[in-house]
Amino acid sequence: MARTSSSKANARQAPTPSAALGTFGRYAGPATLILSSLAEGEKHGYALTKDIEAFAGVRLAPGTLYEALSRLEGQGLIEALESHDRRRPYRLTSVGATALKEHLAAQRRVADVGLRRLSGTWDLA
Amino acid sequence: MRWYPKTWRARYGDEFSELLTAELSERPRSWRRAADVAWSGVFARLTSAGLTAHSLEPHDQVRAGLATLAGALAVFLVFGTALWSQLTIGWQWAEPNTIGTSAAMVAMSAVLLLFVVLATLALAPLGWSVVRRLGRRHGGGLVRPSLLLGAGLVLLVVGARHFGNGWPGTGGHHWAHQGLVPGGVAAFLWALTLSISSYWAHPGALLSFPPAEVGWMIVSPLAIVCAAVGVTKIVRRLDMSPRLQRYEARLGNAAAAAAAAYLVASSVWIVDGGPGPRNLFHAGAIDTVGLAVMAAAAAVALRTAHRACHAGTALITS
Repeated sequence: MARTSSSKANARQAPTPSAALGTFGRYAGPATLILSSLAEGEKHGYALTKDIEAFAGVRLAPGTLYEALSRLEGQGLIEALESHDRRRPYRLTSVGATALKEHLAAQRRVADVGLRRLSGTWDLA
Repeated sequence: MRWYPKTWRARYGDEFSELLTAELSERPRSWRRAADVAWSGVFARLTSAGLTAHSLEPHDQVRAGLATLAGALAVFLVFGTALWSQLTIGWQWAEPNTIGTSAAMVAMSAVLLLFVVLATLALAPLGWSVVRRLGRRHGGGLVRPSLLLGAGLVLLVVGARHFGNGWPGTGGHHWAHQGLVPGGVAAFLWALTLSISSYWAHPGALLSFPPAEVGWMIVSPLAIVCAAVGVTKIVRRLDMSPRLQRYEARLGNAAAAAAAAYLVASSVWIVDGGPGPRNLFHAGAIDTVGLAVMAAAAAVALRTAHRACHAGTALITS
C-alpha cells in the first residue's frame, strides 16, 4: 500500500522516541492506546475505536481520537496510508514502535514496583 | 465539522465524518461525544492560532503566531487608545491632580509612540513584499485581504477625520500647543474609538445622538475588523523568508512587551488615579471592561509572541 507524503513530519525536529509520548500531555493515555492498537496492524478510525474498547474497556470519543492521531502523525510515530474510500488507515512507524516499547516498559516497571509493594504490606485476595 | 479550522477539515474532514457517521449509527445521541467534538474543534483552532502547547512546525508557528498577535494587538490598541483618548480630553481641560494619572498618561503616550515605531518597522517590509508579489502578479491569495485592509483603512481614516471635528477637547486648555500630543492626533484617535462607549448600555441616551454619529459607532468597529482580518490573512498567506519571519517575530515580542507596559500604566490610572478636577479623569465601568479586554489581549499577545519568537529562532538555526 502506498504511503502518503509525510514531509511535514520529517521536517519537524522530533523528540527522541523515549520522550515522544511525554510531550502529549492529557493525550498521552489515548496516544498509548492508539499505538498499542496499531502494534497489531494498520487500522482506520472506527476500527481503532472498536479495538481499543475491546482490549482496554475505554471508548475514545471521536474528537479525542483525532487530536491524538494528529499529534502522533505530527511526531512521526504513526503514518497515514492512502485511503481507498473516506476511511484512512494508519500504521505504526519504527519510531512509534520504539517509543511505545520504551513507554510500556517504563509503565511495567512502575506496575511491578506497585504490585510488589502491595503484596508485601497488604493482604489482598 | 464547523468547529474545526479549514486546514484541519481539509486533512482529516472526510475520515472524521466517516467515523462520526459510524458512531451516530451505533449511538444516535451522546452529549459526551458532542462536547468532545466541540472542545476538540476549539482546541484545534487554538492550536492553528499558535496558542496551545502543541507546537506547529516552526514555519507555521511563526505565521500563525504573528497573525494571532496582529489580531490580539488590534483589539488591545482599540481599547487602549479609547482609554488614552478619554484621558487626553480630560487633560485638555485641566491638569490631573494625582501623580498616578499624570504618570499613567505620560507612560501611555510614550508606549503609544513606541507602538507607532514598531508598527512602522514591522509593516514596511511586509508591505513591500506584498507590493512586489502583487506587481509580479504572484499575489493571488493576497489580493482580497489587501483590498479588505485597504477598504477598512480608507473608511477609518475618512470617518475619523470627519467625526474628529466633534472632539470634546476642542476649546479646552491648549495642551496641544505645548507639543506633547497634537490635538489632531487626539481628536483622530477619539473618533476612531468612538464605539468604545458606555452609551450602548443606555439606548435612550444613544438615540439622542446625531444619527450619523450613531452610524459611525456601528460602522467603525466593522472597518477595524476588516483591517485587522486583512492584516492577519496577509501575514498567514505571505511567503516570508526565515530571516524576515524571525525579524517580525522579534518585533512582535517587543510589541507584546509594550502592550504589557501599557496595561500596567492604564491600571495605575484606574487604581490610583482618582476622578481628578471636575471629574474629568473618572474611571467608569466601560474603562474597567476595557482594561479586562486589554489584559486578555495582552496575555494572548505575550503567549503567541513568545512562541513565534522561539520558532523564528529555530527557523534560522535549523
